[in-house]
Amino acid sequence: MRELAGIVGVFAAPSTAAAAARALRSKGHEVRASMPAAFPEVLEAIGRPPSRLGLATLGAAALGAVLGLALSVGTSLAWPLRVGGKPIVALPAFLVIVFEMAVLVGALVNFFGLAFLAARARRTHPVPEDARFSRDRIGLFVPGGADAAVEELLRKSGAEEVRRVG
Amino acid sequence: MSEAILLAPAERMRSIQDRVRRTLVPPGAGWAVLVALASGSAAVGAWSWSLAIRNGMQVTGLNRPVGWGVFITDFVFWVGIAHSGTLISAILYLFRARFRTAVYRAAEAMTVFAVMTAGLFPVIHLGRPWLAYWIFPYPNQRHLWINFRSPLVWDVLAISTYLVVSSLFLITGLQPDAASLRDQATGWRRRLYALVAMGWRGTSEEWRHYGRGYLFFAAFATPLVISVHSVVSWDFAVSLVPGWHSTLFPPYFVAGAILSGVAMVIALLIPLRKALGLEELITQDHLGLLSRLVLLTSLIVTYSYGTEFFLALRGEPTDDRATLIYRATGDYAPLFWTMVTCNCLVPLSLFWKKVRATNALLLPAMLLVNVGMWLERFVIVVTSLSHNRVPFDWHLYRPTLVEAGVTLGSFGWFFLLFLIFLKLMPAVSISELKEETGGHHA
Repeated sequence: MRELAGIVGVFAAPSTAAAAARALRSKGHEVRASMPAAFPEVLEAIGRPPSRLGLATLGAAALGAVLGLALSVGTSLAWPLRVGGKPIVALPAFLVIVFEMAVLVGALVNFFGLAFLAARARRTHPVPEDARFSRDRIGLFVPGGADAAVEELLRKSGAEEVRRVG
Repeated sequence: MSEAILLAPAERMRSIQDRVRRTLVPPGAGWAVLVALASGSAAVGAWSWSLAIRNGMQVTGLNRPVGWGVFITDFVFWVGIAHSGTLISAILYLFRARFRTAVYRAAEAMTVFAVMTAGLFPVIHLGRPWLAYWIFPYPNQRHLWINFRSPLVWDVLAISTYLVVSSLFLITGLQPDAASLRDQATGWRRRLYALVAMGWRGTSEEWRHYGRGYLFFAAFATPLVISVHSVVSWDFAVSLVPGWHSTLFPPYFVAGAILSGVAMVIALLIPLRKALGLEELITQDHLGLLSRLVLLTSLIVTYSYGTEFFLALRGEPTDDRATLIYRATGDYAPLFWTMVTCNCLVPLSLFWKKVRATNALLLPAMLLVNVGMWLERFVIVVTSLSHNRVPFDWHLYRPTLVEAGVTLGSFGWFFLLFLIFLKLMPAVSISELKEETGGHHA
């Protein structure tokens, strides 16, 4: 990971971290967080748009449905045996395959898409590592150089600890 | 604001982390005994299956006209058990039922292991398991005919999709927890948690994508869970066998699956929370709420039994009527009435708060529900076949020791997987509990 530069504030409660993030953003600073759970108030205060992972997932589900249809229709036409009074291409019966394949391909892309986006997020929006941030503390990170005003604001908002990195 | 109030959420988060980490300490003698019992049972199952492989299916009680017996009963039973995990983790997530947080991880793990158990049975039932890949639906040059109009092929797709999706859902939920354990672990455990965490750091950008990904998993898993047991019910309902050929089957099977699955979750959680010291995280209230789900689904199942008989008994005499009367009064009647007692009467006790709040009463009730649900599948599978349309063909089916051994083995295999999981991965969701107690809900 490349050298990170900026200021880290360590918080003990999501509500204080969220208030600090809001204050920093109102002053025009970019704020990132690292935390043990998805605290909604912190994520809301950081104010990033909703993830677009769902678009890929839905697209994959549609692709899965087409694949399911192609598999069942193609296989049946490749060896046409008429049984049970049903036509060779019996769409109501094939809908089960279409549905299962849509869910299967959608879920696989959802999983690997999430892994990909999370890995990319760690690269494009890194936060200095600290074992406390996966246990019981919320870390706010303001990337950039030394800025006494940011440090002061973090302290005033209730940070337990403020330090410069990089 | 005083420091104590400022620190409170952090302390709560740390307490959750420590409590869950304590459940992962090297196992004690009790765990070893349970693992020995489970392994022993699994070994009995493996030996019994090997007898069926070496000597052919003659070692089972299966014969004309009863071609489906205990193995198919076990299959449907374990698929049913697998349903509550996804119900609790996905459906209750979409409904924002907050009580799911403490219980969903154990239920999800149970789901994955139950599907892994269920998936063995169609293969065991084949008799020639080395040809199992013939059922996989792909165009081929070996003149295998993949009939997509048959529910047996739908089943392959449905169960394997369910296994994949529920495993991915479980792993996704585990990622943040594994990351927090990784940061405190050493040695092989650190490597294991790092592998499951897939590099997770808990940055706000990761959480942004995670929330959306989790929501989509829940949105996919919800119709999937309903489709899977519907497809299993079509294995029966799409045939023309009296007692099976009914449009009632899908909802009836899904309700039955949730009944047995939630009962199994409660039966597992009662000893688990005590053994792992998780009573403060998985509370009696959680068990009480889950047992209300058991009560609800039991009422739906009772209504379905009633409807099945009502439809068969009204109007002109039919094959269906003959089969259902045979079920209730014929050779298998004791099993039928035990089933009715366990599935319809025993859960009625859950109307009393005392039963929901007393584990000594709740646990036996949940075990009885599971006995009842196993019998339900046995009664459905066997009575319709043994007493078919041709009296000349009637034949009683009695399971052999080999079939009993394989059934015992399936329980051993399931519990073995579950016991190993409990010592490797957190049995409750650390990150979601932290979100609840550390966040604005506190």
